[in-house]
Amino acid sequence: MVSKNKMKYFRPSSTHELHDYLVDVKEMSIAILAGGTDLMPRWNDDNGLRPDMLIDIKKIHECFGIREYENEIVIGALTTIQEIKNSILIQKYFGALSEAASHFAGVQIRHRATIGGNICNASPAGDMLPGLYAHRADMKVIGPNSSHSIPISDFIVGPGKTVLESNEIISEIHLKKSGDSSCFYKLGLRQSMAIAVVNFAIAYTRDSNNAFTSLNIAAGSVAPSIVFLNHFTDGIMNGTSLDEAIELVDKDIFPIDDIRASADYRRTVLKNVLKYTFRHELHENCE
Amino acid sequence: MVDILYPISLMVNGKTVQAEVSADLRLLDFLRNDLNLTGAKEVCAEGECGACTVVLDGKTVNSCLILAVETDESELTTIEGLSDGKILTQMQKAFVDHHSVQCGYCIPGMVLTGEQIVKDHDSPSRKTIQEDLSGNICRCTGYQKIVEAIEKVGHEFHE
Repeated sequence: MVSKNKMKYFRPSSTHELHDYLVDVKEMSIAILAGGTDLMPRWNDDNGLRPDMLIDIKKIHECFGIREYENEIVIGALTTIQEIKNSILIQKYFGALSEAASHFAGVQIRHRATIGGNICNASPAGDMLPGLYAHRADMKVIGPNSSHSIPISDFIVGPGKTVLESNEIISEIHLKKSGDSSCFYKLGLRQSMAIAVVNFAIAYTRDSNNAFTSLNIAAGSVAPSIVFLNHFTDGIMNGTSLDEAIELVDKDIFPIDDIRASADYRRTVLKNVLKYTFRHELHENCE
Repeated sequence: MVDILYPISLMVNGKTVQAEVSADLRLLDFLRNDLNLTGAKEVCAEGECGACTVVLDGKTVNSCLILAVETDESELTTIEGLSDGKILTQMQKAFVDHHSVQCGYCIPGMVLTGEQIVKDHDSPSRKTIQEDLSGNICRCTGYQKIVEAIEKVGHEFHE
């Protein structure tokens, strides 16, 4: 533990430079800085974060940009939420991510906050996460000597916890062009700048009779990390009525009471909003 | 153990600024205490209120959530960099004309966000203005006159 002004700062311009450096600082406590919108409030808190070393990864060029390939879209981990909000590619293929970015904090935060940061922060309420789960995103993790790919649902293991080692970063997010449609819903205590009380993303495909051929729902703020509502979606896919299927949501979620809402409220509001979305938006409008 | 200082060089309101800063110095404190640019204000210190808004490389940001050392090689505009002496920008003049200011504490941030809104959108609707102003909190005006001022400039800008 050091006082703030003894802290060291390093800004590598490539992953190569980053890893060369990390070899030498094994004994230090390190904080990785991207957009800083989650890290800095903890920093401004007098009892908050005090690393020996701050590594600013913002200039690592390998982590920039949104790119389209034949079968997938690759989002650089340092892509800002505002860039995602403005991206026509994201809007075309991953509606839920586009909508989540539009509902994300305010403009100043969106100009800085990165998608990689939102993932690594691993908040149970992270707004980009349900869409990434629903579209089954893969994280490309790079370390000193290797890189590997891991599904987001294995990457995040609890509130604020990921499988990332201290010498690894996420470089890219890979999303398959599955042809799924998707949408995002968020309930906060006010419209902007609010942490979600409940959020969820629905990804689906339908046949010509308007019946679901695939259905995937990921919900946030109702468990220690994002959860898939598999009991509910299995019910819907098997032809269970919406009123019966909605009760299966209880088997998928584990909400808690906190400063923003009670567990009961989260349970009730998630079911009500899901029901509304299925009845009025998916069955009637999103064809 | 001595403080470790890092050299930074950036453009602030059109002028080159060179300094040596410790890694823990926030951009907001660097502007206010070292450069004597006190237009950006500290209120919440957690990126909620927008009183510390400045424009970094063409984008509005909260200077309480950025370290000075991060701004090396960048271009910064604060509220002090807008007017040409006593000649106000269209946005500043619209704020005066619409009586958009009461206590004034949030106004530097509001004006800079207003400039960003008319840059980002052609003739922005009220809804767009309200959405894009959501990162700036005002406890006096009720926002109405601020929104009107930005709306006016948005229309003039694209005529």
